[in-house]
This record gives sequence, C-alpha cells and structure tokens, in this order.
Amino acid sequence: MLSTLELSPQTLDAEAPVRIAVKNLDFYYGEHKALKNINLDFRDRHVTALIGPSGCGKSTLLRIFNRIYSLYPEQKATGEILLDGRNIISNDIDVNELRSRIGMVFQKPTPFPMSIYDNVAFGIRLYEKPPKSELDDRVEGALRRAALWDEVKDKLKSSGMGLSGGQQQRLCIARTIAQKPEVILFDEPTSALDPISTGKIEDLLEQLKTDFTIVIVTHNMQQAARISQYTAFMYLGEVIEFDATNTIFMNPHKKQTQDYVTGRFG
Amino acid sequence: MTAVTDPMSLPAAGAQRKTPKGTFDIVFRNASLLSALFVLVLLAGIMLSMIIGGWPAFREMGLGFITSSVWDTQNDQYGAWPAIVGTLSTAFLALLIGVPLSLGIAVFLTQLAPPWFKRPVSTAIELLAAVPSIIYGMWGLFVFVPLFAAYVQQPVSRIVEGMPIVGTILYAASPSGLGILSAGIILAFMIIPFIASIVRDMLDQIPSVLRESAYGIGATTWEVVRHVLVPQAGVSIIGAIMLGLGRALGETMAVTFVVGNANRLSASIMDPGSTIASRIANEFNEAIGLQLNALIALGCILFFVTFVVLVIARILVARVKSF
Repeated sequence: MLSTLELSPQTLDAEAPVRIAVKNLDFYYGEHKALKNINLDFRDRHVTALIGPSGCGKSTLLRIFNRIYSLYPEQKATGEILLDGRNIISNDIDVNELRSRIGMVFQKPTPFPMSIYDNVAFGIRLYEKPPKSELDDRVEGALRRAALWDEVKDKLKSSGMGLSGGQQQRLCIARTIAQKPEVILFDEPTSALDPISTGKIEDLLEQLKTDFTIVIVTHNMQQAARISQYTAFMYLGEVIEFDATNTIFMNPHKKQTQDYVTGRFG
Repeated sequence: MTAVTDPMSLPAAGAQRKTPKGTFDIVFRNASLLSALFVLVLLAGIMLSMIIGGWPAFREMGLGFITSSVWDTQNDQYGAWPAIVGTLSTAFLALLIGVPLSLGIAVFLTQLAPPWFKRPVSTAIELLAAVPSIIYGMWGLFVFVPLFAAYVQQPVSRIVEGMPIVGTILYAASPSGLGILSAGIILAFMIIPFIASIVRDMLDQIPSVLRESAYGIGATTWEVVRHVLVPQAGVSIIGAIMLGLGRALGETMAVTFVVGNANRLSASIMDPGSTIASRIANEFNEAIGLQLNALIALGCILFFVTFVVLVIARILVARVKSF
C-alpha cells in the first residue's frame, strides 16, 4: 500500500516497561481546550513519533512532558502523566530537576551564547560539580555521541553560534545527552535543516534509542516511518490512533489515519 | 484578466520617462545630500568655535588648565581638574547605582512580572524618561537633599569618622545633603528609565525558543538570565549603558542643583563638588575675558571626554560582536 515509504525493520520489544504513562490528559490555552483526554504509553528505550496535521496538538503534548508550558501562566494541564510512577504535572514536582531528566531538542537550533565546550558543559554544571577531567570526558563523550566531535575538537573554545545550522542542532543534542536524561523530546528537530544534516540527525536518533526513551514530533511522515517504533496519530487535539509504527503506516485501523499517512489530507 | 480602462495609466512600451520626474529626482538627491552635509558643517562649526573660544585659556594656562585645581576668578587663574574629576565621578556613581537597578527592572519586566503588573511599570518607566531634567533638579534639591542629609550623610559620617579610607571617602565635613554622591544618585534616577527600557526591548526580542531551551535543560530563572539571556543581549546592553553614560556626563541642570558647586576638589564623595556642565551653567552669565575663554575650554574638554567614551563604547561593542 505504501510503496513510497521505506519502513525499516524496527525491532520493538512489546515487553519493554512503560516509561511515561499519560492518563486522561486535558490541556488548555486559557479557555481553549487544546488536548482532549489523551491516553498514551511511551515504552522505555523506544522511539515514539507523534504525527498529525499542523495544530493537532502534537507539539503541545510534547511541551507538557518537561513542563515548558509552566513558563506561561495562562496554560494549564489536568490529568496525569506518570514518570516512574510520579505525576509530573502536579504542583509539588521540582520542575527544574524534572527538566534535567527529560531533555528537549527544539525546532530551531538554540546554541547558548558561549563556547562550544561551555554549551555542552552547561547542563552538567547545573546539577553536578564534577572535577575538570571528568567534565572534559563527559563533554567529549556527548559530542562524540552527537557525531560532532571530529568537527569541533579543535575549536572547543570558540562560540557555538559560529557553527552551521546542522552542527548547531547536533550541539544542542550533545548538550541534552550530556546531562544523562532518561527521556529526550524532539520537537521537529530537522525542520530547519538541509537533507544532509537531516540524515545525520536521523542516524543519531537511531543510535540514541539504545540508551534513551525518545519522543519525536515530526511533520515528515517518511521520517516517522524510518525512525520510530511506535506512532501516535493526532487530529484536532485527540489521539486518533496509537500503535506500532508498521501498523500505523501499513495497516491502520482508522480511516482518518489511513487518509493522513497516504497523504490524502494534512 | 481585466482590461485596462485608462490608457494613460500604463506607459506605452519603450516610452521614455519625461523630464519633470528626472528633475525632481535630481532636486531630491541634492536636497538630501545638503541635509547630510549640514550635519558635518554644524559639527565642524561647533568644534571650531569652541576651540577658537577656548584657545586663550589653553594658551595662558598651558597643560595646567587640565591638571590645576585652582579656579580663581579674581586673579584669572583657571584649572579644570576638579570639574573633570567631578564629571567622571558623578557619571561613574550614576552607572554604579543605575545599571544594576536598570537590569533588574528589565529582567523583572520581561521574565518575572505577571502581565497585569507589567503594563503599569512599563508605562511608569516611559513617563520617568520624559520628565524634564529641571524637575529632577528641583525635586533633588528640595526633597531628596534634606532627606539625604538627615538620614544618610549625618549618620554615615558619624560612623565612619576616623576610620581609614572610608573615613575619607564617605565623611561629610558639612552634611548639607549636597555633594558628588547626591548628584550621582539623581543622575542614576535619570538614566535608569533609559537603560531599563532599552534593555527591556532587547530582552523581549530574544526568540522565546532560546529561553525555553535554557529552561528546558533545568536552569533556574537566575541561571537563564545570567548565562543565556544577558549574554545574548550583551552588545545591546553595553550600548544602552553607554547611552546612559553619555547622558550622565553632559547632564547640566539637575546636577547643578544638587552637586554643591564647590570649586575645590575633595576626596569625599559626600562633599560638594562640581562638574564641567555645572561649572559652565553657574558662571556663564557673568563671565568675561579669560574666564569666558576658560569656560569654553571646559566645554571643549567635556566634548572630548564624551567623544572618548563613545569611541571606547564602539570598540567594546565591536569586540563583543566579533566573539
């Protein structure tokens, strides 16, 4: 049915524990109800893609997991999101500590105005005070993981703003993984990048899922099919269908899902 | 495709532009060129007349005009040193007090304030920037100075009396409330609205995704502001501070009211002093002969000091930008 989509043989472990469980989640921008009764399970060390047309609420959902929405007083969430059994949208959660455990990579690269080294070390230094040699090792490790080390090892002291767009995005990924989070959220991480940089980031995601639970929002259905093991299709603030990626793309149960993944609307 | 009803609305193919338009173009170009030249002529004219007017004082006093502390109109002896020091120290104190407060205001307004509080404070800042300096001066002299004398100068002088260093710097021989520090504080009030509103605009312009990603790795508000937002706005913040400094150096009326207008140089910031601008404002009316030349020469020095500050600011900005 979907000859244009290349589906990589994704190994998914149905026995993998649930890392994040979303239960009866509603979300409001002021009076406007943007998410309606979301129920989803995100499995440990798997990649879950959130797809759907613009405005369907996929980015909104992603931004709840690390409480970025809390920066804006008019936005609020009700329901439960359980991370290791704790409800992360309750008020007694230490939001900063939560964010160090749930990293996020944004649509546009966001290097901080400091050196490449300091960019990567920034997140580590917030919560730990490792000795210099250990910090060096972790920065190098994160840059290697992000496939950026060879390109920047001779200019660690120069500004992160001087890198190309694709390099900046990998720098942001290095910054995120240096903190050793449990979950990494990607909000359309390649939408501002050229095809070569996009390919590098996708390879990277493939590598990262051995260690991290990954949730990715993407507009690009080929991308979702290539890199994810689970996919949730969202429309108008609701999850229409959630299943293994192969099922969503090859054999969806709902007509809306089928229409969307075959490009008939969106 | 609708038909063109008015045949005159489109020029025929290959038609030449008619001369009236061409003439206007030439007039317009020359008029704007003249306006630009006017600025240069004006600047050159001011500089030239200041140098010519001040030259007799420089010739008479030599280098001593800058280094001497004597300002004696009876014997026609003039030295600018106390006024130069007064100008720089009041401006420096104004920055010392004003910059942290301005940054605090800007950060609070852009990052922390609830929307209902943001609007009135923003408006108040803009209104403060519009208050004429004479009003700051009057308020300073009649309200601030007596309070400052009673609640700051007198108690502080009592405490620091006899102590090394602070006993010199903070001791007021006659705690009238007037002095270098009073002028610095009033100047700080005057530059805060400027710096705060520029920095606020700069912080508002930073893309929210950068702010979100800084919060997103678990930084607190302080860490986000200190390590990401302020460095990101860095160059513009330096520019805003320099703008404030420029205003503080040249401010005349408010300073003249509160600085005390003493002709001698004191080691204490609690003591009266004078600035270049306040000295000129005080004496211009009755100045004749060499005294007038000396005042114009003072003006030259102020011009030069302000120019140097601007150049340093440019260099700083260029250096930060290149990082």
